[in-house]
Amino acid sequence: MGKPTGFMEYARENDPAQAPLERIKHYQEFHPRLPKEERMKQAARCMECGVPFCQSGAVLNGMVSGCPLHNLVPEWNDLVYTGNFGHALERLLKTNNFPEFTGRVCPALCEAACTCGLHGEPVTVKANELGIIEEAWEHGLITPRPPKARTGKRVAVVGSGPSGLAAAAQLNSRGHLVTVFEKADRVGGLLMYGIPNMKLEKEIVLRRTELMEAEGITFRTGVDVGVDITAEELLDTFDAVVLCCGAGQPRDLKVVNRDAKGVHFAVDFLTATTKSLLNSGMKDGKFISAKGKNVVIVGGGDTGNDCVGTCIRHGCASVYQLEMMPKAPDRRAENNPWPEWPKVCKTDYGQEEAIAKFGSDPRIYETTVTELIGDKDNNLTAIKTVKLGKDMKPVEGTETVMKCDLLLIAAGFLGPRQYVPQAFGTRVNQRSNVETDAGQYATNVPKVFTAGDMHRGQSLVVWAIQEGRSAAREVDAFLMGYTNL
Amino acid sequence: MKLVSEAGVGTIAAGVAKAGAQVVLISGYDGGTGAAPRSSIHHAGLPWELGLAETHQTLIQNDLRSRVVIETDGKLMSGRDVAIACMLGAEEFGFATAPLVTMGCVMMRVCNLDTCPVGVATQNPELRKRFRGKPEYVVNFMRFIAQELREYMSKLGVRTVDELVGRTDLLEARRPAVNSRAATVDLSAILDNPYVDAPKHHFDPADVYDFRLEDTVDLKVLEKKLKSSLESGKTAKVSLEVSSTDRTLGTILGSDITRRFGQSLPDDTFTIKCTGGGGQSFGAFIPKGLTLELEGDSNDYFGKGLSGGRLIVYPPKKSTFSAKDNIIIGNVALYGATSGMAFIAGRAGERFCVRNSGAVAVVEGVGDHGCEYMTGGKAVILGPTGKNFAAGMSGGVAYVLDEHRDLYMRLNKALVSMELVTEKHDIEELRKMIEAHVAATGSDWGKEILDHFEDYLPLFKKIMPHDYDRMLRSIGQMEEKGMSREQAEIEAFYINTKGGKR
Repeated sequence: MGKPTGFMEYARENDPAQAPLERIKHYQEFHPRLPKEERMKQAARCMECGVPFCQSGAVLNGMVSGCPLHNLVPEWNDLVYTGNFGHALERLLKTNNFPEFTGRVCPALCEAACTCGLHGEPVTVKANELGIIEEAWEHGLITPRPPKARTGKRVAVVGSGPSGLAAAAQLNSRGHLVTVFEKADRVGGLLMYGIPNMKLEKEIVLRRTELMEAEGITFRTGVDVGVDITAEELLDTFDAVVLCCGAGQPRDLKVVNRDAKGVHFAVDFLTATTKSLLNSGMKDGKFISAKGKNVVIVGGGDTGNDCVGTCIRHGCASVYQLEMMPKAPDRRAENNPWPEWPKVCKTDYGQEEAIAKFGSDPRIYETTVTELIGDKDNNLTAIKTVKLGKDMKPVEGTETVMKCDLLLIAAGFLGPRQYVPQAFGTRVNQRSNVETDAGQYATNVPKVFTAGDMHRGQSLVVWAIQEGRSAAREVDAFLMGYTNL
Repeated sequence: MKLVSEAGVGTIAAGVAKAGAQVVLISGYDGGTGAAPRSSIHHAGLPWELGLAETHQTLIQNDLRSRVVIETDGKLMSGRDVAIACMLGAEEFGFATAPLVTMGCVMMRVCNLDTCPVGVATQNPELRKRFRGKPEYVVNFMRFIAQELREYMSKLGVRTVDELVGRTDLLEARRPAVNSRAATVDLSAILDNPYVDAPKHHFDPADVYDFRLEDTVDLKVLEKKLKSSLESGKTAKVSLEVSSTDRTLGTILGSDITRRFGQSLPDDTFTIKCTGGGGQSFGAFIPKGLTLELEGDSNDYFGKGLSGGRLIVYPPKKSTFSAKDNIIIGNVALYGATSGMAFIAGRAGERFCVRNSGAVAVVEGVGDHGCEYMTGGKAVILGPTGKNFAAGMSGGVAYVLDEHRDLYMRLNKALVSMELVTEKHDIEELRKMIEAHVAATGSDWGKEILDHFEDYLPLFKKIMPHDYDRMLRSIGQMEEKGMSREQAEIEAFYINTKGGKR
């Protein structure tokens, strides 16, 4: 909705960003938000589409476009345009439990599908979402809303990532007593330790989980279900269990001399940095430091980019990213029309910072690593790489040696760690994800449900929230015989 | 005849078929509705399948099916849709949304706002640059539709569309149903068609309704008497008696004049002097050069779609009643008139000059809803009006003699302003129109007003739409800058759409 002629009158203006060379001096977020009046203008650009693809979450040519949560984007854009931020908040929270997370880290499937983006720049949907929720926090509109009545049913949620939190929030709002188990020392899963602080400040996660505690949810950190507490104990104590343990099994490299010292998985690297930052402001030294090192990151995705940004903040000597795929085009290809998800080259914050600091894009395309070279103690000193040709086959004669003394593997995840499904006896499918019927969340074990990456494989925060909400609906129906979630 | 798909539409279709309709279009509720209000999109009409099946069966039942072609529309998207529509009884098929989508439409539903972001439904030159459509895309789309229809027909062993019409025996409901709700739908009323084997189950040109045009006044009298003048374009006059059974009098003659001369004839080239009671649609669509003068009165739709001709009506000279206090023509006079003149010595019924876009009319009183949706032209009303006068009037001017100063109570003020007639130009224009009225009809009331014009003038009200007024002023300003009328109109349009003057 918004103003009918808004898209012709106002240009897209996203939240500003601190200059790369400035922001690499700290680990804080670097996107000051637009003032309220500017935000209202940006919302005015929304076009009153008869068919709003932004909220469709439709699969087009194998890729999802538009919000999987079916966020009521045109509605709250209109409410922002007319200055009704409070009402906009209510409509936003109707479909999304954690807009402050998606407003920061979502790749914005909504904007990819925005009609305004067909000829020109899409509406700043993601920043508008963030504007609504942060405005609400600042003005005290976010207060604990515990359920008016309790059902007496008890639910355990294993894992406190976005899907676990979404499931917990939904089930609690329905009146069930929810306990969330988290194996790490802090709540939040990948929100806490997977996503770097400059992308999602950890106070933001804490602010939300404290609110959830005030609404009646119990969090038990440092409890690794299947290790510290058995499945039987959980099943005896709770009326239902929702497994939301994520897809924590990283894909490893198959290279010669894999055992060289100085090779780490990206998640371990990012986790250690965040933990040290939160515990001591990076003073305890308990992290994998990239300071002064020549870093190579295997994997050109979002995690790889986070590693680039983090390494630069550590003070690395150089950083490169190896990507197996060719560089995506800068604009949509002919066979990739709107409103499909655009397969275009995206230069994210870490890469921007690398360009500013080292003068070139850190990404090296169509290249993979074949061998790790160590010194006499097998400390990594260099890597051998090779160009990939058609069908991802190595091209002979293109072998190169790169200086490298820290190699980070950000090559995606294979699936969940298997000890939790094994503890509960839940079946897993070929991709090692916990198996359910299509579009369902109940596992083969009675009372046990699953959601999030553990269920659908590694994916986006917005999908995790969608999974958590849907699973909560199914759990509620299981417990009560019907559901109104 | 376009009918909305709804319960009972079959009965209506039978009625219009009896009355001579040749095509009955059953329109479903699911269409594109690019500019429709949301409430209508959600709450008006039924699926075409229901209305179509009912219409087809009812027409066969009443032995009327072969008289009419049944068409259907409302979100036909594929050859499969066409095949099903055909089996339910349709033989013509309307498409709008899908071809528009092939041209780039993204179903914004803002066709009415001039903000179409793909340049399909907008006059904004910046947005029109975004249009990417090509005629070939529509051609391709329709080829695919035809191809798919053929594939279904060959699977069913049917060679022609005519053979397929009404073959509900070839349709069956999907079992098991796609979901539990669908399983509750009972389709027997549309699928168990008892008339599958009826001998006349589709349109047959041999049975088409005979309008007996050769019996109309136009063909029987006018065309014959005016034969030589029609060929030469020379002035001619005909007198005749008319009655209310002579409908659309002058229309066929008018079409003949248009065909031969276009709008090139001077006024009053052909004058038809009629006496008696005119039937419905007296003088409908008559063009420039044709004048119908009626001594008597006339039925509804008088001067419908008037296109340049002149219409004059007055009571019989020897009548004793006061013309201005009596209704002389029926409802919906001058509906959708585009040009020409009408002088009516007496009152008109309801909906006078609705959707008039350019004709000039003088009348001595009107019923409810006068000048509704008028977009151009002029109306002079020398007497009382009914309620809701000038509703939705976005153009043109009306002068109303407001003797009792109570017009404001019956005026719909949403779009128009009401002023006294004070400008010299307006006064002159008003006087000239009344003079023409008196000259044409000999109206006593018109004479009385002219004789005491200075006394009556302060009682006249000028009804003018705000936006129309604004546009006229802008056009005037542009013309003063030396632009041609056409240029000035275009410039004025942009001045008034871009700026935040609203």
